[in-house]
Amino acid sequence: MTLSMADGWHRVCRADEIDDEDVVRFDLGARTFAVYNTPSGFFATDGLCTHEEQHLADGLVIDDIIECPLHQGRFHIPTGQAKSAPVCEHLATYPVQVTDGVVYMHIADD
Amino acid sequence: MSDYQATNASSSGVRLDKKTLKALSRRSDRPGLRWLATWAALLTGSGTLVYLSLATWWIVPAMLLHGTLLAVPAYSLSHECAHGTAFRTRRLNEVFFWLSSLIYIEEPTHRRYAHARHHTYTWIKGKDAQMSFHTPLTAWSWFMEISTFGHLIYEARLLTRNALGAFDDEVIEFTPASELAKLKWGARAFLAIYGGLAAYVIVTGAMWPLVYIVVPRLVGGPIMQVFTITQHAELEEDQPSILRSTRSFRSGPIGRFVYMNMNNHMEHHLYPMTPFHALPTLATALQEQVPEPDPSVVRINAEVLSIAVRRSLGLDTTARHIRQADGYAGREPMPAPAE
Ligand code: FES
Repeated sequence: MTLSMADGWHRVCRADEIDDEDVVRFDLGARTFAVYNTPSGFFATDGLCTHEEQHLADGLVIDDIIECPLHQGRFHIPTGQAKSAPVCEHLATYPVQVTDGVVYMHIADD
Repeated sequence: MSDYQATNASSSGVRLDKKTLKALSRRSDRPGLRWLATWAALLTGSGTLVYLSLATWWIVPAMLLHGTLLAVPAYSLSHECAHGTAFRTRRLNEVFFWLSSLIYIEEPTHRRYAHARHHTYTWIKGKDAQMSFHTPLTAWSWFMEISTFGHLIYEARLLTRNALGAFDDEVIEFTPASELAKLKWGARAFLAIYGGLAAYVIVTGAMWPLVYIVVPRLVGGPIMQVFTITQHAELEEDQPSILRSTRSFRSGPIGRFVYMNMNNHMEHHLYPMTPFHALPTLATALQEQVPEPDPSVVRINAEVLSIAVRRSLGLDTTARHIRQADGYAGREPMPAPAE
């Protein structure tokens, strides 16, 4: 299957460039995202914490949870749900596919 | 996106590679449970000493010991749990957050949001929600801080206002609107628990809550403050570098235990994801990039008190043994670090 930019799919990186239970930052234009390798698979969310806009790519992945580096607020990665204070607003999530060892995420046009 | 850069490693020009940080931040229940078991054993021992010394003069040292072992670790555990780093299991973390905050006397929702604010704006006047004492310290503000009167008065007022839903502007500023109900009910629960305990003592005449919890908490409070005052006293306000606003100090094993390694306070502010058990390793990893730790908690406190008294008397306030902001030592303040 070919994933094309025209359809909103963007190449993030090779799958082996994200360690197990880890996260990388992916910037597209002015937007920033976090792309995760979790025990349940690869996922993508908005890149900034909904509490005080820290880059989640600097945070800690614990199973399916991303913990923010500044105040340790937590989100459930697959759903983007805010799990513990000080975060209470959910994160937007994005579809991800891994094809031929490459991670793609889908970003709809604004 | 706001342009404000929170006070942490990057605002302080400190770097650590991602792999090391990830390894240090790894969570586990085991160190926290081991710490808890040790704390429980120590409290049982000191509580037994209190029991054996009742109605004798030995009650004084026994109460001091029991109070120290109750108050300092309660503060430390409440702080660690506010960060969610005491245990890997979130529920354990939240249960002990509540229990330790009851002893420390700060409602957990407020503690978590106020402390988050403290990390975002460390030692920035008008923004940091945990600049408890007036800076620079005078003899009076030192007394209010160390005696814990400042904390007790502040909390009595805050709990009452929050329980009534009459939130201070500052509280509204750092607490999301959706969390205010939780704050209100948390404050009500705290007041109900404290009130229930008081009613139980009055109605039944039972003395054990006073002897083993209330009086020791009040007696141990000043020792708790002796630890916490080291964190930022005499250091620099209103600038972004943790290296200039925050202090670490050298400590022996007993101090490290009761304070959950928070003698590495500078390193904690640089990388708050690091759990207490990994802080000494983090401190070693960062030692080339950060100032030397100050001498012991006793030396810091002796000097802070001496400076506070000298300041109140209008004498020279230059510190001799501890780190001090240039402005307080009569030197020109250093320029803020380049972005
Ligand atoms: S910025 Fe993420 S929890 Fe505060």
